[in-house]
Amino acid sequence: MSVTPDGARGLPTRWRAVAGRAVAATALLTAVAFLPWLSGTDPALTVLRARSAEQDPTPAQLAAVRERLGLDEGPFVHLGRWLEGLGRGDAGTSWVSGEPVLPQVTTAFAVSLTLMLGALAVTVAVAALVSARTLYLGSRQRLLRGRAGAGAAVLAALPKFLLASLLATVCGVWLGWFPSQGWTGPASMVLPALALGVPSGAMIGGLLDQSLPAAFHESWARTWRAYGLPPGRIARTALRRALSGVLPQLLPTVVGLVGGAVAVEKIFNIPGLGRLALEAAVAQDLPPLQTATLALVLLGVGAGLAIQALRRALLGPALRDGALPALHAPALPRPRSLPWITGCCALALLTLVVAGLLRDPLHVDTAARLLPPSPDHPLGTDPLGRDLLARLGHGALRTASVALAVTAVSALLGLLIGAASQAGAGLTEVVSTLPAVLAGLLVTAVTGPSVWGAACAVCLVGWTPYAAQTSALLEQERASGHLLASVSFGAGPGYLLRHHLLPAVLPALLRNALLRLPTTVLVLASLGFLGLGEQPPTPEWGRLLSENQPYAELAPWTVLAPAAALALFAVLTVAGTATGPRRSR
Amino acid sequence: MRTTSRGIVAALALGPLLAGCFASGDGGPGTDGAGAGGRLRIALAVPPVQALSPYSNDATVLSKLSVAEGLTALDEDGAAAPALATSWKRTNDTTWTFELREATFQDGTDVTAEAVVGALDHANRAETRPRVLSDVTLTAKAADADTVTLTTKTPDPVLPLRLASPALGILSPKAYAKDGTVSPVGTGTGPFEITRLTGKTKATLDRYDGYWGGRAKAPGIDVSWIADGTARAGALRGGDVDIAEWIPTAQAELLDESTRHEVPSVRTDSLVLNTASGLFADAPLRAAARAAVDGGVLVDSVFGGYADEAEGLFGPAVPWAARDRVEVTGRAKAATAAQVREETRGRTLRLAAYTNRAELPEAATVLQQQLEKAGFTVKQDVREYTQMEADLLAGKYDALVFSRVTLLDTGDAVAYLASDYTGDGVYNIAGLRDAKVDRAVRAAAEEGDTAERHRKIMRAEAEILRTDAVVPLVHEKVVQGIADDVEGVLLDPRERSLVDVDTRIE
Repeated sequence: MSVTPDGARGLPTRWRAVAGRAVAATALLTAVAFLPWLSGTDPALTVLRARSAEQDPTPAQLAAVRERLGLDEGPFVHLGRWLEGLGRGDAGTSWVSGEPVLPQVTTAFAVSLTLMLGALAVTVAVAALVSARTLYLGSRQRLLRGRAGAGAAVLAALPKFLLASLLATVCGVWLGWFPSQGWTGPASMVLPALALGVPSGAMIGGLLDQSLPAAFHESWARTWRAYGLPPGRIARTALRRALSGVLPQLLPTVVGLVGGAVAVEKIFNIPGLGRLALEAAVAQDLPPLQTATLALVLLGVGAGLAIQALRRALLGPALRDGALPALHAPALPRPRSLPWITGCCALALLTLVVAGLLRDPLHVDTAARLLPPSPDHPLGTDPLGRDLLARLGHGALRTASVALAVTAVSALLGLLIGAASQAGAGLTEVVSTLPAVLAGLLVTAVTGPSVWGAACAVCLVGWTPYAAQTSALLEQERASGHLLASVSFGAGPGYLLRHHLLPAVLPALLRNALLRLPTTVLVLASLGFLGLGEQPPTPEWGRLLSENQPYAELAPWTVLAPAAALALFAVLTVAGTATGPRRSR
Repeated sequence: MRTTSRGIVAALALGPLLAGCFASGDGGPGTDGAGAGGRLRIALAVPPVQALSPYSNDATVLSKLSVAEGLTALDEDGAAAPALATSWKRTNDTTWTFELREATFQDGTDVTAEAVVGALDHANRAETRPRVLSDVTLTAKAADADTVTLTTKTPDPVLPLRLASPALGILSPKAYAKDGTVSPVGTGTGPFEITRLTGKTKATLDRYDGYWGGRAKAPGIDVSWIADGTARAGALRGGDVDIAEWIPTAQAELLDESTRHEVPSVRTDSLVLNTASGLFADAPLRAAARAAVDGGVLVDSVFGGYADEAEGLFGPAVPWAARDRVEVTGRAKAATAAQVREETRGRTLRLAAYTNRAELPEAATVLQQQLEKAGFTVKQDVREYTQMEADLLAGKYDALVFSRVTLLDTGDAVAYLASDYTGDGVYNIAGLRDAKVDRAVRAAAEEGDTAERHRKIMRAEAEILRTDAVVPLVHEKVVQGIADDVEGVLLDPRERSLVDVDTRIE
């Protein structure tokens, strides 16, 4: 998927971005159009299977379907026909149901978009809460210490599907405050929006919280304070300053939920686009899959442009005129609690791993099913009577190393693509709304089921947050005065990269990557049904969570332990890398 | 700063705007007042795939909710009972005559022989013929206004059973469109009439007052499709629905005892061994696997008690199976653990399971441990069913944990045995080619007398089990969630009926 067309180099930047989007979208839609032919599984078989699960398709039936759908004509004919139909406002008919695709996709899209806006509202509220303290103290010049960011890390590590199950059970079934399932009115939106919005809000808030001190540290803030301007005014301006770097994160984090909230859509029985796309993909029902992909691509580009406009509005002419100093974090001392938090997390995880490694994670004992925590099984047992402590301990290393490796590769990819500026921006917009499952299907189609497939698939879509962040930060940094000064002193690109560009990007990128680690673990596990990743019964944290999810109410410990372990891991990494000089200066 | 606040205001204004569109776009009134006036609210598990066309999976919805009827129906013993036909007669080997009852379609027209012939012809000519007709050539003719003559090319002793299939429900001529699609909306003959179908999420049914069997007690049905089992159970517990079908094992224990009703199902879970290639082409190794595997431990663990230990291929939901069961003789001698280790040196047993039914991957893990104890080295492959079906049929696995309905749409067990275990079966995952099995299945298929047919089926079962191509594990039970105030729900092992004229809210 190369996106820097040679001919585009001489074009004005705006056109380069348009070309980037067009190339990326074309590549993606073509890849999707080839899916049934790449996968090696007869679409006639999957279509018939979707129509009627318990039947045994006879050769005659398969032939009839193949002929009816014109499968022998090959992907190009189909793609051409679909594109031609689109021009007339007709996206074809579903291979499975024979019904027109466009009404289905638009309905599902509207549902998912509404849900996403609800999640966005929650995200904004949670992000505000997370960064409120820094904002308040910073505007009053009382920001004396950095923050560990442990709270945000814990919230961001909450698995969305677990939060969804919890909310549906407690607020829906037990208390009856909101509908536990269905999509019948604004009330049914509350719980799913919370489940989706809280972790996203913590993620966005955590990033904002990290960049705010730098904004307060800039010289304008000192001047304004000296002039006696009210703290509220200073806070608002600092927020504008910090937001412009964080806003692009909304695209992969929140807008991406339109197609990527399959698990939550299932739990709340919401007829959204994520489920539609997944069902179509599994049945290899091409017309709805293509149309859903196109809708997601358009959404990504539209949202990308909107966010870009919002950033321009926030920063105003400063960005355009190169009058922006870059945000560089001040040397705040580490918070006093930091060593304690880091130490406790490290100790707890170490105990968990060591104690777990001494036990057998694979021994099935059907008589010991779902036992609550006891001296024999300190964390209880799972539905097959396996010891949870053992499974957590044995899974720790594999989970952590795969997640770290995937995150590192994604971050590196994101850094490179984000640095490619305008052309990269188009690619980022197109890919950031793409559900990981679709990437998983494409990978399965090419490589077949494999242990590394899941990691590949996640890397394929996982770089977008980092690319968005890199390009936003670099845009500011390039606009700054000191960069111009260095250039005029004869600094080459290598020097600029090492001394100006990378230092401006890396700390924020690192924080972002660490906040996203737990999500990566879960996404990796969510591709298991395609045969990607380690096969059971290998213990792995994401799998522990997803395979025990149905038992969340019956035996809460089966999901609480892995969720807590994941949160510990997240806090440890975030707090362990919190920047700033040591306390004893 | 002004821009910021303007941006925020704009963002805040967008929310309600789109929320408004969502309410009008999807919801519609009436969902809150559901249950009013005794309407039944039902949560079904499998969303419609083809707008409730009888030629797809959706056919069972039509029979479950008593929307459409066939010429015949199945009684509790699995024998054919009158439905739209009051009686039938086999005039010779290949010809049957059916006398129709006086009934009307929900669009007001009469059920005539003409209409029945038209409906059966459409099923015959459907682009993908319903499975129930795939091994028979059927010609329907109207003898007079209320007599239909059916002719088959070859003798078909189970024709009345076939006609009970939900795929052969008789709809009014209006239902069949020129482009081959079939719409059951307002065209059935049953006590309930579909008035509206909203995508894959909801359907509204009203009582059909002209039903030949009398007025239904419930004034209507509100159906919602909830694919997620936890959500379905939650809907029942939260009082959103009165009936929720197929409550998963993990959720069943959370329901009140009075609301959960278990039904033995015709579904048997078994371990299918690949006899054609790989490890299990070797009979003593198959026997070793059979001896090692104990389905009994799955009952209380994986299935939470909602299953019976397997007796054979057919379980307690098939009433005659236990009566006519034949002892299995002539099995291969099982290899010992040491022999297994020696034989399989350097080779792993590829054990497949699919994620569509949550219990199967769990069962696979338990079986893995049992097989490892017997000396095998096991590697699992767990995926979504459609992702692995091609590999399964190509014999790329040694063993599969398989959940199978043993009475297919014909309601006759021979169809299952023939497709899964005979040399030319289309679904022969075990890759079995055994002359004795083929002969036994053919003998059962040709038998016309019901009791004798059952005995021959059980003889075929014994032949199949002798080869160790399949190791039955458990016979599943289905848990139906039914609120306390609902009466008259049908608990059908074949999952073909759920609601009828007598179902009501007290």
